Amino acid sequence: MKTRKVLVVDDSKLLHRMFEMMLRGFPLVHAFDGREALDRLAEHKDVELILLDINMPRMNGLEFLTAVKAHPEFARIPVVIITTEGTEDDTERGMQAGAAAYVKKPFRNEELLGVINRLTASPAA
Amino acid sequence: MAAPEQLPPRVGSALDELRATIDRAAELAREIEARPPAAGDLSARLADVESDRDELSTKLAEYEQQVGRLMNLYVATYQLHATLDPSEVQATIAEIAINLLGAEQFVLLFWKNDARDSSGECEIAFAQGMEDDQTGLYPNGIYGGGDPAVDATLSDGVLRIGPIDGSKALACVPLTVQGATVGALVILKLFDHKAMLRTEDRDLLDLIAAHAASALFAARVYSNTDRKLKTLESLVALVRRQ
Repeated sequence: MKTRKVLVVDDSKLLHRMFEMMLRGFPLVHAFDGREALDRLAEHKDVELILLDINMPRMNGLEFLTAVKAHPEFARIPVVIITTEGTEDDTERGMQAGAAAYVKKPFRNEELLGVINRLTASPAA
Repeated sequence: MAAPEQLPPRVGSALDELRATIDRAAELAREIEARPPAAGDLSARLADVESDRDELSTKLAEYEQQVGRLMNLYVATYQLHATLDPSEVQATIAEIAINLLGAEQFVLLFWKNDARDSSGECEIAFAQGMEDDQTGLYPNGIYGGGDPAVDATLSDGVLRIGPIDGSKALACVPLTVQGATVGALVILKLFDHKAMLRTEDRDLLDLIAAHAASALFAARVYSNTDRKLKTLESLVALVRRQ
């Protein structure tokens, strides 16, 4: 079965660990800010989905999203914004910038897996 | 009418055939009559199967929730003890509150000087969303008492989940090390999309009560010891050079 590589971009180590547990069927690539995420994308051109936090140091989620959507090679990759309450404006800007969906923290496993399954070809494990 | 035995053999045979046909017809009629109950039985079995399926779906959803709950507990515990850097442990407590509990406004309190000193004040080690705090109980990084639920938790080390009369806190989580309460995590507001703390959140609050303070305490002890060790090593190196 074809594996679907997911790039997780978040400055929270806790959430990286959480995604590792939740998305056992997916090979994960980790980045802790937008700039590092761009480097990881350049290394892993087979990434099929991006889970993106907004508030991060160095390069925030919106700046990263804009850079991804402007890149001819990466623009096709669906991006899911992982958002918190009080960042509705940022989430809205993210959706307008080309994000495919958003999930509010705290989220349930099935909620996140539902979104991922919808955006990727075959069901997640 | 004459009896059949008195009829010529050909007629008698035809009559027998007629009787057999009538019997067969009656048998078929009985079979047809028996069919509706059979269809009813099938319907009943279908209903049973559907009921089993619904029950299994409910159980599956329950198991999924259970797995999610255990996953949260595992990740929280793992991450609390994954570092010996006090600031990272503190950040992890905050991440648990925000990302797993959905807390928008909370404070992490510790008794000043790691003991219940005479001032009765707690220092605020970490605060989130307190810029527009209306309670006035947490000014300048100090909590001097005033919220009955927080004061009670700091005093008796019991986890309290609101609403609590006279308190603004939604949850007061004692932070304990070896049975002694050294502080509390006070959750004052949840994100709007999370109406209230759920049953499964209770486990996370218990986990914070049991693990957060000891993880932080261990990290602080390690940090202090490491600093002292490095100072001693520098002194030894200096003495050797002289």
